[in-house]
Amino acid sequence: MSTNTETTSNHAEPKPGMNAASRRYTTDLTATGEPFLWGLGGALALGILLVVGFLVLIFWNGIATFWPKPIEVVTLNSGTVVAGEPTRDNVFKPGDGLLERLTEQDREIIDSNVGFAHRVLYRTGNYDLYNEDFRWVSDFEIAKVETPPGMYLFERQEWGVFIGRIAGLVLDGESRNLSDYDRAAIQEQQEAARERFEEIRHIERDEIGEVNYYMEQARLDLKRVALDHGRDSGEYRQAERETEQQITELQREYEQLAARAEAIKETDRRYRITLEEIGGEQKELPLSEIVRFYPANDLSPFGKAAVYFSRWGEFLTSEPREANTEGGVLPAIFGTVAMTLIMVVFVAPLGVITALYLREYAKQGRLVSIVRISVNNLAGVPSIVYGVFGLGFFAYTLGGGIDALFYPERLPSPTFGTGGILWASLTLALLTVPVVIVASEEALSAVPRSMREGSLACGASTWQTLRRVVLPRAMPGIMTGLILAMARGAGEVAPLMLVGVVKLAPELPVDGFFPYVHLERSFMHLGFHIFDVGFQSRNSEAGKPMVYVTTMLLLALIVLMNASAIYIRNRLKKRFAGSAF
Amino acid sequence: MNATAEAAPDEAPKFNPTAYHVTKSDQGDILDIRNFNLWYDDVQALFDITMEVPRGLVTALIGPSGCGKSTLLRCINRMNDLIDEVRVDGRMAVDERDIYGKGVDVISLRKRMGMVFQKPNPFAMSIFENVVYPLRVDGVTDKSVLEDTCERALRGAALWEETKDRLKESGLSMSGGQQQRLCIARAIASDPEVLLMDEPASALDPIATAKIEELIDELRGQYSIVIVTHNMQQAARVSDNTAFMYLGRLIEFGHTETLFTNPKLKQTSDYISGRFG
Ligand SMILES: Nc1ncnc2c1ncn2[C@@H]1O[C@H](COP(=O)(O)OP(=O)(O)OP(=O)(O)O)[C@@H](O)[C@H]1O
Ligand SMILES: [Mg+2]
Repeated sequence: MSTNTETTSNHAEPKPGMNAASRRYTTDLTATGEPFLWGLGGALALGILLVVGFLVLIFWNGIATFWPKPIEVVTLNSGTVVAGEPTRDNVFKPGDGLLERLTEQDREIIDSNVGFAHRVLYRTGNYDLYNEDFRWVSDFEIAKVETPPGMYLFERQEWGVFIGRIAGLVLDGESRNLSDYDRAAIQEQQEAARERFEEIRHIERDEIGEVNYYMEQARLDLKRVALDHGRDSGEYRQAERETEQQITELQREYEQLAARAEAIKETDRRYRITLEEIGGEQKELPLSEIVRFYPANDLSPFGKAAVYFSRWGEFLTSEPREANTEGGVLPAIFGTVAMTLIMVVFVAPLGVITALYLREYAKQGRLVSIVRISVNNLAGVPSIVYGVFGLGFFAYTLGGGIDALFYPERLPSPTFGTGGILWASLTLALLTVPVVIVASEEALSAVPRSMREGSLACGASTWQTLRRVVLPRAMPGIMTGLILAMARGAGEVAPLMLVGVVKLAPELPVDGFFPYVHLERSFMHLGFHIFDVGFQSRNSEAGKPMVYVTTMLLLALIVLMNASAIYIRNRLKKRFAGSAF
Repeated sequence: MNATAEAAPDEAPKFNPTAYHVTKSDQGDILDIRNFNLWYDDVQALFDITMEVPRGLVTALIGPSGCGKSTLLRCINRMNDLIDEVRVDGRMAVDERDIYGKGVDVISLRKRMGMVFQKPNPFAMSIFENVVYPLRVDGVTDKSVLEDTCERALRGAALWEETKDRLKESGLSMSGGQQQRLCIARAIASDPEVLLMDEPASALDPIATAKIEELIDELRGQYSIVIVTHNMQQAARVSDNTAFMYLGRLIEFGHTETLFTNPKLKQTSDYISGRFG
């Protein structure tokens, strides 16, 4: 090593006879491209920073949302007592009028902070009593902050959370002494009440829903007969008699179910709980209205973890409540995944076949170039335009045609003639097909010519060559296109609002009624859910945590779908990694 | 006349009519090429080629790089159809049947010929599927037929012993020389009449090359082989007849030994003695 260095330095000395002055061995800074390189590196770093910052924000807030926070009881100077979870804080500039009313001391503190005061936003809950969920409390208002034991947070079926204490308990119609019941005992009662609630819901929604469905079906069948044969025909009278009989039977079934539900409701009414907010105001409600409750300040870390996971469980496996700001997002998860998968089912053959034709069969010329440019430009059309097209063409034209042909008895209410998961998937398939075409064409053209020649020389036709040699080889690249399309499609919202996504879908596109898959139904979507909860709900502050959690979930879902596609692609790729050469 | 002629400025080549001293086969001729010309767009690559390839013998094509050996070879099974700008003129027939005639079924034509390329090009399939590919595209599904063919072809390509226990493995998992022999097995699997080889050993080491040469020797008689090679020793070793091409023309075509020891034309002797090319 050292000898090497010596040799180099020897060379650096000017040789005799060489004009040393005319040659300087220095390099211009711009010539080496260093500043340019720093610029590139800086841009990359900035980009990475933005993405990482975004992800950290989403994940931190998303993960922390369900962790139970302590409940602080704040006594104000005015004597008012506020109880709530501190959610966030900031500084603000108090107005002159406000400053005048403050004490000398408080004014000094504010002055020392160049005129800014600090305040905390408390989630007080009890919307039914206070008409608001949140309250700002400024530092200078506060006399005392405590986290006393016995403060409970109740998540209710309706009206959001209640923060306060338990003031009374009625079990089986009898008022009980609270000192006989510890938290575990009350929780047991609450869980039992909750089970009754679920049972009532099951009867009313699923069982009575089924009866209603068959009644509606019977009426529609009758209407169909009327349309086919006319109201005066013998067939119609025959069908009418049968339908009436059927409906009477169903009616009887309905009454039985309703009676069963009413019996459970009767029991349910005998179990009640009285809650008391911090100011002493009381509210009595059925025990079954309480979804979850916990003493926020008395929980051990394990207790907190239990609440945390129970909330996640509810979030992932149940339906939304309270205008989507609470409860779960299962229908939205289902809708997002189903729509994306249906989209792939459409976009994959469409894109691949188009690419095959363009690359392998079409005579490469002007027309093909124009088609290619158009396809590339389609990728740049605003997605809402696709939404309008989807609504106009798929839903109104195609769907309307299907309705007129196959579902005339249901008109004027549309079946396929309005937004639905099928039309949404088709719209997204159109939106993402350019990506698939471009990627597939690239993949096809990357298949070495020697492979095609080898196959053709064996006497294979062009199609056989494509199917047996070229397509398998191009599959990883085609998969890459599909992955990109999936990522784009799953995250798209704007066009969906026009073609079938709704705030709250009463039924999933898959259920127990024939034909089990109902592609005409509208559906929920996580992306739209974020928009709805964050910006369309009664209280955006209340929806904010849900926005983070839902965003995190949507990101996780897209990552999951892509990861599985990438896994499949890499397995395909392995087949082509030869060892020779 | 065109760019090709100008490429050799000084000794403006006098193209005599081809010197012809071919060893004839007792089975007659398999290929009959008459006044065949080929153009890539406006550039002529083959000039007035006329030759008869004897059946059951090995015919080598030699000549300097760019003289049109591959082009001629690829004309025989119409591989050049893949290139849009190719235009041909003249007659070429296999077994008395026109190759470029109207209404010729190119696919069945290619099925009568096997082709081995310069670089091994096995498919991303198992060794077994690679070998029986010509049968698969013919729609053969009978397992015993496929297995028999596979064994016969692999034995023919001197690859059976090495691969009989790993037929399910990917064809891409083999060495370069094995891959080339796999391609030969694929080419002979459908029992073609003609075997076309374009520098089949150029990417291989001497041992693999020797194996391929041995193989060609064994295949002699069963198949009519046309082999392009850059290696004159190889041509001398494996072929019965040798065709020397220069600038798109057929200069001398004759018995290999005579052509190498006692060439009839000066251009041939210049080339084989290494004075150019
Ligand atoms: N696809 C093509 N388009 C245009 N010209 C081509 C094409 N392929 C070959 N040529 C030209 O045709 C002539 C003959 O080429 P060919 O490949 O047949 O040479 P060769 O004898 O096989 O050479 P080598 O020994 O280097 O393989 C060359 O001048 C080449 O430039
Ligand atoms: Mg060549």
